[in-house]
Amino acid sequence: MIEVYGDPASYIVVAQTLLRIFEGLVICMIIGMVLGLLMGLERNVEAFFDSWIMVLLTFPAICWAFLSVLWFGFSDIGPILTVVLIVFPFVTMNIWEGTKAVEKELVDMATVYKADRFLMIRKVYIPMLMPFVFSALRIALSLSWKIILVGEAFAVGSGVGQKLIYWFEDTRVDMMLAWGVSFMIFMVVIDLVVFRSWERRTFAWRHQIAN
Amino acid sequence: MDGSEFVVLDSISLNVDEGNFASIVGPSGCGKSTLLNIIAGIETHESHEGGSIQVFPKSGAESTPRIGYVFQNARLLNWLTVEGNIQFVLEAQKIPRDTWDGQVAKYLEMVGLEGQEKNYPLNLSGGMQQRVAIARALAIEPDVLLMDEPFSHLDEITARKMRFDLMEILMRAKPTILFVTHDLGEAVFLSDQIYMMSTKPARIFKEISIDIPRPRQPEDPVIFDLEKDLVREFFRVLEAQE
Amino acid sequence: MSTRVRGIGLRIGSIFVMLGIWWVTAIWMNDVEILPGPVLIGKTIATNLVTLGPEGQTAYFHIGITLGRTFIAFAAAMLAGIGIGLAMGLRKVFEHSLMALIPLMLTMPTILMVFLAVLWFGFNEVGSLVAVVGVVTPFVAVNMFEGAKAMDKSLLDMAKTFKAPRRMLIQKVYLPMLLPYIFSAFRFGFGITWKIVALAETFGIKYGIGYMFFFWFEQFIMEQVLAWIIMFVVLMLILEHGVFARLESKAFAWRPSHSL
Repeated sequence: MIEVYGDPASYIVVAQTLLRIFEGLVICMIIGMVLGLLMGLERNVEAFFDSWIMVLLTFPAICWAFLSVLWFGFSDIGPILTVVLIVFPFVTMNIWEGTKAVEKELVDMATVYKADRFLMIRKVYIPMLMPFVFSALRIALSLSWKIILVGEAFAVGSGVGQKLIYWFEDTRVDMMLAWGVSFMIFMVVIDLVVFRSWERRTFAWRHQIAN
Repeated sequence: MDGSEFVVLDSISLNVDEGNFASIVGPSGCGKSTLLNIIAGIETHESHEGGSIQVFPKSGAESTPRIGYVFQNARLLNWLTVEGNIQFVLEAQKIPRDTWDGQVAKYLEMVGLEGQEKNYPLNLSGGMQQRVAIARALAIEPDVLLMDEPFSHLDEITARKMRFDLMEILMRAKPTILFVTHDLGEAVFLSDQIYMMSTKPARIFKEISIDIPRPRQPEDPVIFDLEKDLVREFFRVLEAQE
Repeated sequence: MSTRVRGIGLRIGSIFVMLGIWWVTAIWMNDVEILPGPVLIGKTIATNLVTLGPEGQTAYFHIGITLGRTFIAFAAAMLAGIGIGLAMGLRKVFEHSLMALIPLMLTMPTILMVFLAVLWFGFNEVGSLVAVVGVVTPFVAVNMFEGAKAMDKSLLDMAKTFKAPRRMLIQKVYLPMLLPYIFSAFRFGFGITWKIVALAETFGIKYGIGYMFFFWFEQFIMEQVLAWIIMFVVLMLILEHGVFARLESKAFAWRPSHSL
């Protein structure tokens, strides 16, 4: 393992992977939140798209990896596309459930006071959805970093995933584990550090208990 | 109510004068909350014999009436401050922004919560949350203030204080109020008129005017006597139905 | 028109829209190597099902192999998972000793698990079995652990005051309480297993749907790659939504139906 991290070139590899994860996540979250919100608010949209979501959920990562190679060759698009197509349905479902679970009582109250759609979405739906967005993001991250490895292994020539398959084909379990386990630990640390503190700050209004 | 014909409310006719406090009293399930929700526009009504709801707003013209509503639960947006909650309805009603600070301060003071602007709802007791809800409803200066058993979820002591404070608010702000409750004593203490409602089908079977001058004292024997009479009236009607 | 009818109509409509978009894009791109149209894929699938494929096996052969591996591996993972999960829920000893291991196994990326399993146990059935067990068992175990912890103590006490014998307790009280957890582990676990088997087959384990993915991918023959992907997805959908959903509703017939 020291062998790996002593070499500065390794950090570039990790950075590449992280960048792809980030790009994939951003796209996932945007598509997922918009679609999830629409599906939760409008019955018709829900009925239309839920079969698409169901179908997308059955696709194995490897299929997208292969398809993106056939379509785009070995490029960054491969792993990112794979991540987006597999993870955004999860985000969508999360937000969709959240939107539907929105407390009718508060929506009714806002309706009585004649809040227009825009105000409702801004001040009622979105704050109520924040916990769901949060958990969706967390799930998305935990899925994404694993999927990106599949994408990198088969559809692009760089990144941690590519290192894994390289050492796999060389049957060097030690090197494979060095890359794999260290990356795992790294991602777990990010999850703990980023999410815990972020959660505490955003949801400050919750932690106050009524006198 | 889908498909089958299920008459919940049958020819209800109410007339509330401006500045008056009218109560609708009846047993649970008689549809009084439903009536309020229909007026507020969160439930729809299928008028078979042509029912209509006409509210003549203070503005005189036939514009849509401004309605304030205080629910059984405060229904505050917990992620907004007290002032944020009031500003929310001011924005919803498209009231000009420059008046907001004044309105917030004025009505918070009226409900006894001056200084609480920046506090969050979850830091407040049940009674205080309900006061915010009342301030919120008053802040838009509604043509009609609807109240659906607003004190029924509070403990008795808090509820008594709230009723007394509501009476004082009435004398200052003079809103037109339509108040729903199952508590006759509460109705007698607060109202100028009481509409008594029965179930199956829901209809108003009696209207009573309460002429006791304000400020009223909760221990006033006149109020007790009136309450006793009304209770007797209710039992009479309910028994006659069986 | 009633909401239900509209819902079904929209769903069917959306499938047609999907196919429509595919068809139009395929014609517009006019390049079979990039995007063959649905008609061509349909024909390819039909041909695959009827004729012998490369190396002289039928499509059913491959499908059968993948299914076989999936069911066996899944059964093993489920049994192990349920066993471990319940053990952890019922005896503190197990909970403490295994609690540290499980998050580790859950965080491990599938691809790494598959690589390890295959390198250590060989490019064969054992390898793929181990890979599946490694990924799915911890997941099922956690599910069952939660289920065991969540067992409604008041119901158990009630049964005990009526002096219900142990076997009755297990059958009529424990099992039904655990059933929802078993089912959710089942649903999710099966989906994952299916994908892991396909992944394992893709690089090196002989025969099966995954093997076919890779075979045609290497030859850059898009129609076949897409054809096999579609077959895979359709099969999975039928299993998950047709078979399992049906089983689930029977098992939970006592619950009031949630109108949507």
